[in-house]
Amino acid sequence: MGRISARLALAAATVLAAMSGAAEAKSLRLNITADPSQMDPITESELIAGDIIRNMYEDLAGIDKDGKVIPVLATEWQATDGGKTWRFKLRTGVKFQTGRELKATDVKRSFEALLTPALKPGASQVYLKDIVGAQDLLDGKATALAGVKVVDDTTVDITFNKPDVLFPIYPVRIFDTDVLTHGADWFLKESAGTGPFQFVEWKRGEAVRLKAFPGYWGGAPKIDEVAFLVVPNIETALSLYETKGLDLVEVPASGTRAVLKDSRYQNQTIQVPAAQITYLGMNQNLYAPFKDKRVREAISLAVDRDGFVKGILGGAGLPLYGSITPGVAGYAPVAKIPYDPQRAKKLLAEAGFPDGKGLPPIDIQATPVEKDSLAALADQFNKVLGMQVNVKVVERATYIKQLNAGEVAFFPWGWTADYPDALYFLSQLWDSRSPYDRVRWKNEDYNKLIDQAQGEPNAEARYKIYAQAEKIIVDDVGMAPLYVRTQIWLKQPNVKNVYLTPFRMLPYAKVEME
Amino acid sequence: MLSYIARRLAELVFVLAAVLVLAFAASRLMPGDPIGAMLSDRSGDAALEQRLRAEYGLDAPILQQFATYVRGVVRGEFGLSYRFVGVPVVEVLGDSLKISPLLALAALFVAVPLGVAAGALAALKHNRWADTSIMAVMIAGISVPNFASAAFLVYLLAVRLNALPVAGWGTAQQAALPVIVLALQPTAYIARLARTFMLEVLAQDYIRTARAKGMRERIVIFRHALPNILVPLLTTIGVIFGTLLTATFVVETVFNIPGLGRQAIQAIFARDYPVTVAVLLLFTFFYAGINLVVDLLYGVIDPRIRLEARR
Amino acid sequence: MTTLEIAPPKESGEFRRRFLGNRNAVIGGTLVAIAVLTALFATALAPHSYTDTNMLLVWGDPDAEHWLGLDALGRDILSRILVGARVSLGVAAAVLTLTLAFGTAVGMVAAYLGGWIDTVAMRAADIILAFPELIFAILLAAVLGPGVVTVVLALAITWWPGIARLARSLVLSLRHEAFVEAAVASGTRPTAIMLRHFLPNIVAPLIVRASIGVGFIITAEATLSFLGLGVQEPTPSWGGMIRDGLTVLRTDPSLAISASTVLGVTILGFNLLGDGLRDLLDPRARDR
Repeated sequence: MGRISARLALAAATVLAAMSGAAEAKSLRLNITADPSQMDPITESELIAGDIIRNMYEDLAGIDKDGKVIPVLATEWQATDGGKTWRFKLRTGVKFQTGRELKATDVKRSFEALLTPALKPGASQVYLKDIVGAQDLLDGKATALAGVKVVDDTTVDITFNKPDVLFPIYPVRIFDTDVLTHGADWFLKESAGTGPFQFVEWKRGEAVRLKAFPGYWGGAPKIDEVAFLVVPNIETALSLYETKGLDLVEVPASGTRAVLKDSRYQNQTIQVPAAQITYLGMNQNLYAPFKDKRVREAISLAVDRDGFVKGILGGAGLPLYGSITPGVAGYAPVAKIPYDPQRAKKLLAEAGFPDGKGLPPIDIQATPVEKDSLAALADQFNKVLGMQVNVKVVERATYIKQLNAGEVAFFPWGWTADYPDALYFLSQLWDSRSPYDRVRWKNEDYNKLIDQAQGEPNAEARYKIYAQAEKIIVDDVGMAPLYVRTQIWLKQPNVKNVYLTPFRMLPYAKVEME
Repeated sequence: MLSYIARRLAELVFVLAAVLVLAFAASRLMPGDPIGAMLSDRSGDAALEQRLRAEYGLDAPILQQFATYVRGVVRGEFGLSYRFVGVPVVEVLGDSLKISPLLALAALFVAVPLGVAAGALAALKHNRWADTSIMAVMIAGISVPNFASAAFLVYLLAVRLNALPVAGWGTAQQAALPVIVLALQPTAYIARLARTFMLEVLAQDYIRTARAKGMRERIVIFRHALPNILVPLLTTIGVIFGTLLTATFVVETVFNIPGLGRQAIQAIFARDYPVTVAVLLLFTFFYAGINLVVDLLYGVIDPRIRLEARR
Repeated sequence: MTTLEIAPPKESGEFRRRFLGNRNAVIGGTLVAIAVLTALFATALAPHSYTDTNMLLVWGDPDAEHWLGLDALGRDILSRILVGARVSLGVAAAVLTLTLAFGTAVGMVAAYLGGWIDTVAMRAADIILAFPELIFAILLAAVLGPGVVTVVLALAITWWPGIARLARSLVLSLRHEAFVEAAVASGTRPTAIMLRHFLPNIVAPLIVRASIGVGFIITAEATLSFLGLGVQEPTPSWGGMIRDGLTVLRTDPSLAISASTVLGVTILGFNLLGDGLRDLLDPRARDR
């Protein structure tokens, strides 16, 4: 008993100390809904890990607060050979948190680490696969990456098997690979990036703490610490925020209604659409009526997008009519798809299914997280079209495997852009050669446009190609666009220079707290 | 007695071995797999998937994987977590190992005195309104599942009265609600037992004699009756602890407490095989171990033998 | 687990009189009757369709039209709670039937045949009982995947060993009774002995033992659904409704509170009835 009360007293004291010390220590405290799965730039592969790691590690390029691409570790880059080779000039005077200075060899060594299977590389490996010699590393046939040439300390040439005009904006972390000799769990003790903050501790289930890196090339941060507190429950996060226990709150979908309805939060919310589209997939190979464009169009017209955003998303979203989200380079507005039950019924009747008669029953599927969307859509199609749609909730990993195998007929699913260019959506989702063409929509003209865009270094010319491609998929109703989710954050009035972009929060390098 | 203990220990080893096999098999039989969970939306990259599978040894035949795992367990190694890439299972479970028992103990500290007091009081007021109402509350306490009582208490104490935080872990205030919720069912259970035992004790001759001799009621209760119900109560701790262990699954999930129960649920959902199997082993080890101790206690102090001797 | 000593009442009139004299049994019986009737006539009683969504009325407050308000999809909470009774009690009934059938069969066969069959059956039961019951059910549900059928299976697999053990001990105590010995001596086949001689004599205590567990089964189903391993959308389950309601307790408490109340009261009903039945049928308890 004595020990317990001592522990509780200690905990209480810590909280009090944290509260009273907040003014002097300048700690930026924000919520994360779960522990990150990774803490190092090699294995990094999910969003929460990304939010933290982005503050410790940097890439060759980045984005500014408006989502525009800006130089980071590279100061300039240039393509030769029609985009087959890229030359990067590196920033000078950049220090790693390990104390060493960034050199061109570090780019090469970071890439090599990300291509070494034994290190269990995560998401960014895919961006390096087209570099000459990458496959040899992946197959264990080489240890050096042939396609990366270190010209001098600040210049590096990267050669590709095929043109890759977007390579500079891919998220690939550059780090001091010397730490790999510090033991397999080095990332639980230190960080080795060039970012504004460095690793302090990770207490699972409680918090990840980073401290300011005084040697940051962009100038030492004006705050001392960033603490990512694990608070899975939005109710808890909000009560912490109200008692000034959190400076920033990322509001998950379940909390949007509570926040948007509450007038106290009105001047403290930040809202930016996410670079994430949600669409309704209709696989024509698996359900014969989907082969008829009129059926697909009827389904698209039977979705009340505004109602969906208001109801399911609690207002935290925008209806989607195309395949690109606002705020992503290459976005252009497309024509609105109305909610038109009459026309939907008429089209369905023309296709030979008056009032849904003759349509075989179909499952609409997704993971447990989307169960509400599924129930709502199924009910809407039942009511408007007379279509018998059954809800089927599937475990996530199994579901995604089936999606990739093209085995799911009818599904709402999202896709988040990893780098700031619309080509991410267009090339990965609807190009029939992509493993992520989960609707199995196929259009040769579309594929040709994608190839053309990938070889077009001029941004404006490329964006024109995007618009043509987007029109093809939208006109054919290859899928039904549904909505764009809006990110919602709460920010205490004393916190300045926090920037929310479609690609989540920028690193907290410039944050000031009064 | 010694041969009995030896036999029970052998049984325990057998059961744990069986649980190991079962837990291992169950983790592998769950739909989906950890590589799929890790890759998530990127699982279209077949080559990456294959490389990761090889790197985690998941491409080996299942029996070989099992043999590797058992060899590790024998050496006291539980491997690396899949969900927390590169972090040893022992470290993943390390902090939660302290949290869940602390919670359970705190709940016991609330439940035992409260339950005994309520039960004893009910017995003393046998068949009067105090007895009836206490027992009514107690059967309600046993009946309402802990996540439902959590909903009531959170709504009342945290949302309406704003007296306690909704969830979280780390401060005394945050611990209050989960401890109360955890303590409800054991309190009710103990109260019902305490009442039964107390009624039995009060009917004994020595209590009647003491009362007949004109001994003050307070002394009769505290000196003679109460101590005699504590011994049989002690032997029910096994059942209570088993209930508490299971309850941590739900209560830690409701209140977002980073304990073993929530770890288990999250590991199951993330298909984190090494953590899932290790947590299940831990839980059954606790459960079987406590039941063993309790069974041995039964042998040592059979309450009826005790009461006989007193008479 | 101690065997219940059961003295069957001599005549039904006597039993009815004693049942009506037992407050627990009466209150519990009434609550259970209400719950069962609700489950049977759920769709007729429900004022609205339990699947009918309405995006404009999402999380609507309780009013004359929707007494308990509306949920995240604008569905009528009262209707979903009523239909939830069908799911809850339906699962419990199915689990009860399965555990009784399977547990009794295994227990009888193990006790009568003995030998390695007995050893294997009882070892299997030991292993399942080595897990805290709910944890085993959670594990099974994770393996089998979500859904009503798998929940029933998971719970039945978790609960049969208790019944099997009781059946086995009851049969063992009957084995050397004269009427059994006589049947064996006259060459009656084992299946016939089991069905004609054992079963009628052990069925009453088994049913009582099983019905005392109904409260636990309902709790277990709700817990699985609460954890997301049980019944799936759009089928309503009280456990799932409580989980959904907990996240919005501050703004829309109706869902979590009403589902919790109904779940708690239903289980209370079954427990009271179980307590009452035990008091009535267990002679030791009668003196108290």
